[in-house]
Amino acid sequence: MGQKISNTSSKRTQNSSFLSFLKRFSPQKPSLDKIVLPRKGVLAKLITPPANKSSDFTRIISDCISFASTRTQEYLVFKDPEGKFQPSPQTLTQVFLMTYMTQSVNQDLTEAFNCTAMTPEQRILLGADWVWAILEKPTKNPKIQIAVQVLHLPDREEAEERAAARKPVSESIQMAQMESRNQNAYERMVDFCTSIGKDCYALFLFFGKRDDKENIYGVLSNNFEAAVGKYDRIDRALIENFLKGLKYFHTPLGMMQAIFTKKTDEALTLMIKFS
Amino acid sequence: MELYGKMAATQDVKGKGEGGDQNFDYMFKLLIIGNSSVGKTSFLFRYADDAFTSAFVSTVGIDFKVKTVYKNDKRIKLQIWDTAGQERYRTITTAYYRGAMGFILMYDITNEESFGAVQDWSTQIKTYSWDNAQVVLAGNKCDMEEERVVSVDSGRLLAEQLGFEFFETSAKDNINVKQTFERLVDLICDKMSESLDTDPAVTTGAPTTKLTDSAPPLQQPGCNC
Repeated sequence: MGQKISNTSSKRTQNSSFLSFLKRFSPQKPSLDKIVLPRKGVLAKLITPPANKSSDFTRIISDCISFASTRTQEYLVFKDPEGKFQPSPQTLTQVFLMTYMTQSVNQDLTEAFNCTAMTPEQRILLGADWVWAILEKPTKNPKIQIAVQVLHLPDREEAEERAAARKPVSESIQMAQMESRNQNAYERMVDFCTSIGKDCYALFLFFGKRDDKENIYGVLSNNFEAAVGKYDRIDRALIENFLKGLKYFHTPLGMMQAIFTKKTDEALTLMIKFS
Repeated sequence: MELYGKMAATQDVKGKGEGGDQNFDYMFKLLIIGNSSVGKTSFLFRYADDAFTSAFVSTVGIDFKVKTVYKNDKRIKLQIWDTAGQERYRTITTAYYRGAMGFILMYDITNEESFGAVQDWSTQIKTYSWDNAQVVLAGNKCDMEEERVVSVDSGRLLAEQLGFEFFETSAKDNINVKQTFERLVDLICDKMSESLDTDPAVTTGAPTTKLTDSAPPLQQPGCNC
């Protein structure tokens, strides 16, 4: 594997067979600049040194994503002193999206890199919460897409499911659920991306993971379908396995650079730390 | 070949959520197809929500809305699928053609390319749908007369050649939107009646007719819609 993600030797052995189905990881060394730098607040994320024009675009996108991640993290780590209140998973997703969208509009990004929030029905049918797209000029047709599904900590998700069970479900939501009943949300998103091709990535965005509940991580790949033949199902455990034992991760900037520099039809899988 | 009457009755909607109106006589699956930016989503929004926005937001993959209409005292639920027109979504959109009873094939009267693609879209219907699917050809954006490049006659002629009904429409000015859907529903109902006439077994509730527990049994046998 061409991946240069550092790993402990024991964990590497443990995960090597699991990851072996992945055709190729990013050829680049993970960009660690943002991880080793101390955090200096939300605004610091947007103060970047002048860059040449080609890398400006990538940097602006990644800055917007980092900004949204940092803002979301503030709410992710929030703890009510009385332990009665906590933001719902949906609220956290909305905070991320609202912050990202506001930033991207402020940065005049939307003409070239847009973000489409899915309708409630599309979230069920396609498994994605939103889709980022690099747009071709002048048609504005998507050239590269990143379909994003947010995964919350299991206890948060269970609480939301309990609350949802008490609420009435609209007719169209029931129909969407019926249409999608043979696959789980992970499989639906992988199917959606696979149906488009290698220029569509699935990004599973973890708002906290089991061993680090206060940070945001992601697993991005245009090659999840490779797992379909090897495993019975694509499920949360399978996706979480990508993050196990890793010490170093790509930054949002590294992720965008890898996507932009990838050759057509090449497989790419990255693990990213967003906050 | 699966009978038309069964198609309407076998729509498999389960679940009894309080928010869902499960009380209907028939459910028709309809698709809106055509090139990107011809106005498919706007057309659906106008029909389902009576709303219009000029901002162009490209549909990702597929989406749908539900609308109930009444015809001869029958409640007909329309499940209307809005498809992305771009080539990159073709695999996912054509997967939804299966089981569709009607199509609105749309082009933009100000866009020659979208009109030229109608034949290809028609072939897609034949390839991925079934013989009895009904099609209405819609030349959208007829409010933009000054930018027209496709004449009404060209649209009508092509519709005749393909065996489709034809309307010029405007989602923006709400011209012929409701009429297009109503005509498509009429065509489907007519086709259902033909099928039922040729196979009375359907009207007597043949064992293969899979009515779900959520859809009430048909009040009267046969299609009177």
